[in-house]
Amino acid sequence: MSSPQSPPPTAPAAAPPAPRPVRVPVEAIDRSCRWPVLVLVVLAAGWLVVAGALAVLAAIKLHAPGMLAQHAWLTYGRVQPAAWNAFVFGFASLAGLAMALWMTARLSGAPLRGGGVIILGALVWHAGLKIGLLGILAGDATGLEGLELPPYASPLLLGGYLLMAPWALLTFARRVEAEAYVSQWHLIAALLVFPWVFAAAHLATNFLPLRGVLQAAAQAWYLQNLQVLWLGFLGLAAIFYFAPKLTGNPVPSRSLALFGFWVLTIFGSLAGQVRYAGGPFPAWMSSVAAAAGVLTLFGVYAVAVNGARLGRGAAGRFRESVVLRFIALAWLVFVGAGALAALNSLLGVRQLTQFTLVTPGLDYLWTQGVAGLALLGALYYLVPRLLGQGWPVAGLARAHFYLAATGILVLAAAFLVGGLAHGAALKDPQLGFILVVKRYLPFAATGTLAHLLWLGGALLFVLNLVLALVRCFQQAARPVWQAWWTPQPTGPQPAEVKP
Amino acid sequence: MKHGPLMFLGVLAAVLASWLVAVLAPHFQIGHEEPILIEELGINYPVDRPGEAKQGAEVYRAQGCQYCHTRQVRQEPLFADLTVTDLGTNAVETRRVVASLRRDLAGVDGRRLPEELPRPLLKHVSYAAAEAALRRLTNAGAQVELTLANLGPDIARGWGARRTVARDYLRDHPVMLGQVRFGPDLANLGARQTNEMRLYLKLYNARLELPGSTMPRYPYLFEERRLRPGQEPSPDALRGFGFEPPPGIEIVPRPEARQLVAYLLSLKADTLFYETYVPRPASAGAAAVTNGPAAAPPAPTPPPAQP
Repeated sequence: MSSPQSPPPTAPAAAPPAPRPVRVPVEAIDRSCRWPVLVLVVLAAGWLVVAGALAVLAAIKLHAPGMLAQHAWLTYGRVQPAAWNAFVFGFASLAGLAMALWMTARLSGAPLRGGGVIILGALVWHAGLKIGLLGILAGDATGLEGLELPPYASPLLLGGYLLMAPWALLTFARRVEAEAYVSQWHLIAALLVFPWVFAAAHLATNFLPLRGVLQAAAQAWYLQNLQVLWLGFLGLAAIFYFAPKLTGNPVPSRSLALFGFWVLTIFGSLAGQVRYAGGPFPAWMSSVAAAAGVLTLFGVYAVAVNGARLGRGAAGRFRESVVLRFIALAWLVFVGAGALAALNSLLGVRQLTQFTLVTPGLDYLWTQGVAGLALLGALYYLVPRLLGQGWPVAGLARAHFYLAATGILVLAAAFLVGGLAHGAALKDPQLGFILVVKRYLPFAATGTLAHLLWLGGALLFVLNLVLALVRCFQQAARPVWQAWWTPQPTGPQPAEVKP
Repeated sequence: MKHGPLMFLGVLAAVLASWLVAVLAPHFQIGHEEPILIEELGINYPVDRPGEAKQGAEVYRAQGCQYCHTRQVRQEPLFADLTVTDLGTNAVETRRVVASLRRDLAGVDGRRLPEELPRPLLKHVSYAAAEAALRRLTNAGAQVELTLANLGPDIARGWGARRTVARDYLRDHPVMLGQVRFGPDLANLGARQTNEMRLYLKLYNARLELPGSTMPRYPYLFEERRLRPGQEPSPDALRGFGFEPPPGIEIVPRPEARQLVAYLLSLKADTLFYETYVPRPASAGAAAVTNGPAAAPPAPTPPPAQP
């Protein structure tokens, strides 16, 4: 399959006999997406900064425990989950939905429908997340990592989602070409999986709680599906959409991509229990998860091979396009994190890395590395199309890429290497615990630097976005403004606003 | 992929299958577990926590203690060491048995067994093999010592007498297993730390007792009160273990701190029952085993701490 949009949309050939839907011009599609997607992008950008600030605070508190200790709502055990939720449900999910809606409309060749409802859904989701985050800071977190959103907030998120996502599916159903693109498989799978996983896990832990450790089993299943099938697939959708588009190469092997897609769907979904391997569960659960975790390696391999061939001979494009750089780095992190996660499923490795910095390190790679970088790349591409003009300061985008890339690589190196030191120290019973702390602390402290770099990049992105919006608003408002200030004795006349 | 609906169904089937395998199957296996009656102790394990400790679980959750502390003890596959302490009266017969156990030392004909036997004689063998060797040696009249090896670093650290199992968490909601050990494991905190004042001081400022600790301070769980001149501090004000409040001030735990400490003291997962079987390390003399019952059931006492 050739790159999705690289040939300009040609007029349909001689009128086909059946009333086939006609590919709508790209400009019309972008215009149909403008308001709903822009609202999602603006909300996501806000959450990106909030999440970055909270993550910096949590990272500092990990090695400076006396800081701001007198405020209950800023204790590490609340700021840390608040940062994670703000990133995953604030930035990654909203930006993912923005990309999903826009990309589906573009790939289907049909205008996006449901504009107002989507905006309503975005606001409901945003309000729910705000309430949930305040709840977490107030001490109402549910106590299960990843499922912290209190029971009075999580239904709001689900409700908002159900107002937004179906429009992508409805648009997909009206697509011009029956054949779906590789990026569309991942997108549709992610959109289908998220509500089911989110609702099932919250039901099984908060509303109709399962007994005892089964809650933790449901939590592990949920975290795995969230990371691979929601965040990971959003990232892969961006990779398989933008990489062909920007390099000009087609996806090298569609069947390999199909193979990878199904392997990741089937085995990636099943490998959650690796998180609690060796824990208080029936032993077969760890074994099944470990086997599934190793098998995901085939899916990662498929993505690696397809991606590597896509990038071949496109070195020049990397220099031109900051979007392509984000996408390429996200691909690299996906391959690295996927291989490490498969390695981490092995019993011998797991015994060393369990309960160490490796666990949060791998989580960061999936959330910020794969989904974060890929979605930032997507936003850098789609916002100018929505606004109809380029970024005001292109240098800010390049600086953002370098800050984000350094942040992710520093974080990965610190937490993975530090996790090995942490694990080796935990394995040595002669070492008092305070000496274990001394072993991992320098690495955990390096995390602060990584989060600061990430936050700096996020601020540059928001600055760029605000400048773009202000410029766009000025241009739209100028005719109206001039009409107001020009005395018109003949009475009020509608200003000639450009459509 | 032309078949959109087929893809929808496939994805849903894959996620449904993983839900069935990862959540529902274990639910059918252990979801009906009930507390177990332990007759020797006269308790239903896990014991229901007292009311204050139940409230403390909410404080534990609200402070997010599980982001730094796990509550699960791992155990590695069990191995045993076997040491011959005395060859007994029939040294020839004993040495014959030893030679058959350690062909590598004794050679094919069993004559090259060194005068001084290695200690331990068998190292890191399976528990069943060690037990069989113990029986043969004691029947030959030797004094033998069997010690458990390789219970794993968690147990060696004294974080528990045994691994934690699903039944330990039956009365918990939510179950806060934890995923990272920025701090020590707390599954058995109540078994190793019984002094509540030390826990209060730890919560107030962990670096009083342990400089270099990275545990956050929780001053908001305590109340600072000004003392009138001549007034005695209240009996539960923080003191001792090298802590002296500033003059004229007393620091008293708030109800949340009391509840949290009551909960921490109630954290114990050391009761033994059949799921948590750890064989009692036998230090058997000839008489004890030959005359005793073949295999005594494990008594509900924790095995002695590892050396």
